[in-house]
Amino acid sequence: MSQTQFSSMPPLSLNYSAAAGRADEVFNEDGIAKPHWQQLLKSLQTMGSGTLAERHDKASRILRDDGATYNIYGDTKNPSRTWGLDLVPAVIGSEEWGVIESGLLERAELLNAFLKDIYGPRELVRRGVIPPEAIFAHGGFLRACHGIQTGGEHELILHAVDMVRTEDGSMCVLTDRTQAPSGMGYALENRTVMSRVLPSLFRDSHAHRLAPFFQRLRTKLASLSSAHDQPRVVVLTPGAHNETYFEHAYLANYLGFQLVQSGDLVVRNGFVWMKSLDGLSRVDVILRRVDDWYCDPVELRSDSQLGVPHLLEAVRAGRVIIANPLGAGILENPVFLKFMPAIAKALLGREPRLASVATYWCGQEDDMAYVLSHLNELVIKPTLRSNGLSSVHAANLSEAKRKELIARIKAHPWQYVAQSRLVASHLPTFVGGNLQPRPSILRSFAVASDTSYAIMPGGLTRVGTDEGAFLISGQVGAQSKDTWVISSEPEVSPVDGAGADAPIVPNEAQLISLPSRVVENLFWMGRYAERAEATLRILRTAFILLNGEDPVSESSRRYLLAAVTEITGTLPGFKNCSPELLANPEAELLRLAKDPNMFGSVHYNLTAMLRSADESKELLSSDTMRVINDIRDALDNLETNLSGDDGSAPEEALDPLVTALMALAGLTHESMVRGIGWHFIEIGRRTERGVQTLKILEGLLIDVLPEHDQNTLLEALLLSVETLISYRRRYRARMSVRQVLEVSMLDATNPRSVRFQFDRLKKYINALPRVKSTNAELSTEEKSILEADTRIRLTDLSLLCERDSSDKTRPQLKTMLGQLQKSLADISTIVSDKYFDHKAGPQQLVRRNWED
Amino acid sequence: MRYRIRHTTEYKYSARVANCYNLAYMVPRSSLRQTCDKNSISISPQPAFSNRQEDYFGNISHHFEIQQPHKNLVITAESEVDVNPQHSSLNMDFGITCAEAKQILAKSKSLDVLLAREYMLDSSMVRASDELREYAAPSFTDDRPFVSAVADLTKRIFTEFTYSPEATTIATPLSEVLQTRKGVCQDFAHLQVGCLRSLGFPAKYVSGYIETLPAPGTEKLVGTDATHAWISVYSPTEGWFEFDPTNDQICGEQHIITAWGRDYFDVTPLRGVIFGGGDNPILNVSVDVARI
Repeated sequence: MSQTQFSSMPPLSLNYSAAAGRADEVFNEDGIAKPHWQQLLKSLQTMGSGTLAERHDKASRILRDDGATYNIYGDTKNPSRTWGLDLVPAVIGSEEWGVIESGLLERAELLNAFLKDIYGPRELVRRGVIPPEAIFAHGGFLRACHGIQTGGEHELILHAVDMVRTEDGSMCVLTDRTQAPSGMGYALENRTVMSRVLPSLFRDSHAHRLAPFFQRLRTKLASLSSAHDQPRVVVLTPGAHNETYFEHAYLANYLGFQLVQSGDLVVRNGFVWMKSLDGLSRVDVILRRVDDWYCDPVELRSDSQLGVPHLLEAVRAGRVIIANPLGAGILENPVFLKFMPAIAKALLGREPRLASVATYWCGQEDDMAYVLSHLNELVIKPTLRSNGLSSVHAANLSEAKRKELIARIKAHPWQYVAQSRLVASHLPTFVGGNLQPRPSILRSFAVASDTSYAIMPGGLTRVGTDEGAFLISGQVGAQSKDTWVISSEPEVSPVDGAGADAPIVPNEAQLISLPSRVVENLFWMGRYAERAEATLRILRTAFILLNGEDPVSESSRRYLLAAVTEITGTLPGFKNCSPELLANPEAELLRLAKDPNMFGSVHYNLTAMLRSADESKELLSSDTMRVINDIRDALDNLETNLSGDDGSAPEEALDPLVTALMALAGLTHESMVRGIGWHFIEIGRRTERGVQTLKILEGLLIDVLPEHDQNTLLEALLLSVETLISYRRRYRARMSVRQVLEVSMLDATNPRSVRFQFDRLKKYINALPRVKSTNAELSTEEKSILEADTRIRLTDLSLLCERDSSDKTRPQLKTMLGQLQKSLADISTIVSDKYFDHKAGPQQLVRRNWED
Repeated sequence: MRYRIRHTTEYKYSARVANCYNLAYMVPRSSLRQTCDKNSISISPQPAFSNRQEDYFGNISHHFEIQQPHKNLVITAESEVDVNPQHSSLNMDFGITCAEAKQILAKSKSLDVLLAREYMLDSSMVRASDELREYAAPSFTDDRPFVSAVADLTKRIFTEFTYSPEATTIATPLSEVLQTRKGVCQDFAHLQVGCLRSLGFPAKYVSGYIETLPAPGTEKLVGTDATHAWISVYSPTEGWFEFDPTNDQICGEQHIITAWGRDYFDVTPLRGVIFGGGDNPILNVSVDVARI
């Protein structure tokens, strides 16, 4: 195609012309923009570059606030990136889509029949349609899954296809995704964001809605179980570190299913159960996002940490249904692309409508000879997809690497295919303030429905980073696009009229019980947030006092800094430290704020808090996610802000974090339903706050000091427990140990006092679900709380302030603080023993080496 | 010959096992030369769930799940089985040559050959290598009858390798066995399977029992029989043949098959995961093979 100018428009700021010599989605063969593209580009031009850039920022903000991330493997410092969305949609006319859709339906049906054959009679091997090695030499063929079939119409529930439009204008399949296809959640998120940032553009386009597809997915999953009327469906994720974890949580929420990890599931008496607060609940259907090979350490990969022992046995007995079924990964073998026409002929009696990319299998002599003589024109791919191996463009290799590749192929010819390098057709993409052509790839999705499949209208489009690029993958920073299938008339929408993509109402019964892992993470989220806050406050106090205009005596300095060490749990730190360190504590204090590897630092505690939040993401509101993201950003900027380059004092640099943590606490309080999850966050928070306050009191008040020093420490104490102002209002400027103890320990109206924490703990723990005992005996945690609560209420302040005979310490205070700390530790242990799952990991009876 | 076999496996753990999930191959399968018509398996403590079924290879597997805390696990399998010797007409000096065998394997579209090709491929514990091929090659000259070549390889492994239970564990790689020339029946079976696959011939790993006969004039002791392992190799014209490299034998009536697969991993007598159990469990296995 020659250089084409989009000519019907006056030259405004946004122009688009196709790249020389590249196929382009916008233009037809004569170089004229297709009608639906004309309309879209016109609207974009009217909007102009500035507005589009501003909408783009808004989209990025929404994506960030929704927590839409894509984790990059191997980037440990900053593992999650915000999902990239380009605002120029990929547009497909509905007539054209009809052709693609029928090809996709046929392909899903074909692969379903093929899957049934592979784990059943294997007629295609017996009849010589495919060479035995195509199945037997592939790691995705799980012999343990032989003979397991549900017997229904569909074995293959979900099917995704990556395809590109080639030079001749036809669609060409690059890969089938049948293992645990990802991307549909991102497609939905893209759509949601587009309808928010470009509402009128979207409305006028009459793009087909996505919600009906997800409705079908939900119906299909629920119908897989014949066990009861209300089957429990769960989404199984490998965990927060998986590259597409955002999507797992997002889909689970949207569909109204519980998100679980393998540790939340257990097989008992041949059934699968979810371990939850109210005991075990039966699981009937699992939508899995864990690769099949890792799902059962008894029969499949024995070194897997992501498996549920005997899961396969429960499947075999028909007691749980997994979608896609274990073993479905075999269909991703690219060797089948070569044989697809023959497979289709054998199973459907005709050639497939959708072509696949030309594929050569090194396991066959002729193909091997071709591959070796045309290496530079080909992409070499391992037949089994895994993290360690990826596609290689032989043309880009050095001579040494090339030889290495050839040797590898020759050593294991079955395990490599080669494919022609395709340059995909290009799409206009908003780059650098203008529209630039970028190569595009479309992932489409099919879900089993009735007697066939339903195809998502459109899918997930991704564009390459450079014009003419060969490789497009989320792992190398590609952008995505919403995909619009445009009808000539508005779509007839169902009567309910719910918005563009209204979420499906979740089934109440499904969401009542939470996995123990989730509540444990909420508990720790509360504790770490509070611990980080206490650390921030004491550091801030230390900076303010040490840099203040009143000089601080050496003795007060020593006590204050030692308390910092105690509170952060970073011994030896300032405890019995050298006079040099005491005189110049700044570097160590900064390290306590920003060092991510130092146990007890602000950075460390916040990272732990964020990790816990990620694990229970699906329970947090979008406002909460926004605050969490603010904390993440503030943490990323901590190093810079603390460098003092802008002349600000360190305590000021800490302020944004304190504010963000306060906002988090406020949101938890104001906008979270008082369910089990909320109670666990609060129990964590109250426990930690109690511990921290007791530690400060212990560090600063037990030893008796001269009045001036004592006053400095009292002020520090009040400052760091945020009570200085109310104290001053009540008692004016007079500092006394007795009154400080009254305010910080006994005052039931002070939300930072020790008493307040016990009051709350008592209330929250009483609200937790428990097995009702028949007698009137209190539970152990209730007893611990009652004991501590009574101890505080019976406190005699004069007694606490009494000094020992040598007039050096306050022994009664010391005993009291110790007892209260022990009560809190006991409560924490009892709660975690009772409600969290502490089963040790399994061990293999027979251990052997895994070579692959 | 008809046998009654009693196979007892006992694990003694150093700490309590809260629960466990296991998969056992302890009951003889049927094959062309043997029929197992009576068998039972008993497990202590009582499993919460158990299931017997035929696996991918046609072996009999038992899955079970124990939910009672325990420190001892005992599994007893009892079977009765009729065993025949292999093809009575087996004559090593005739039949197709190694070169012919290779040719048929490469070209034939017969169902048997297509299905046998699965056993030419690498499996998780046995991988083809240049070293294995070089070791085996002298036995497999092009014009030598194929079965006679396999018998020669069997003899060489028997004479050139030392039986030594201390030398290896189940995790010892094949390359190390080839280097040290020491091992046990599993290692020798893996070695021979690896040699055959490296040369391009299909081979299976067979696990089972071997009847041991007392020295003349002495009483047979209980529990002296053993679990054993050997190989089965495919000749495109004559089918599958079993050889025992540990004893330099063509397997006969005294070789009772439990299960076969690509390697030990497919047919491990007892595997699975346990929760708890501490370190270094004590394993006792006893086998009695009695003629009836």
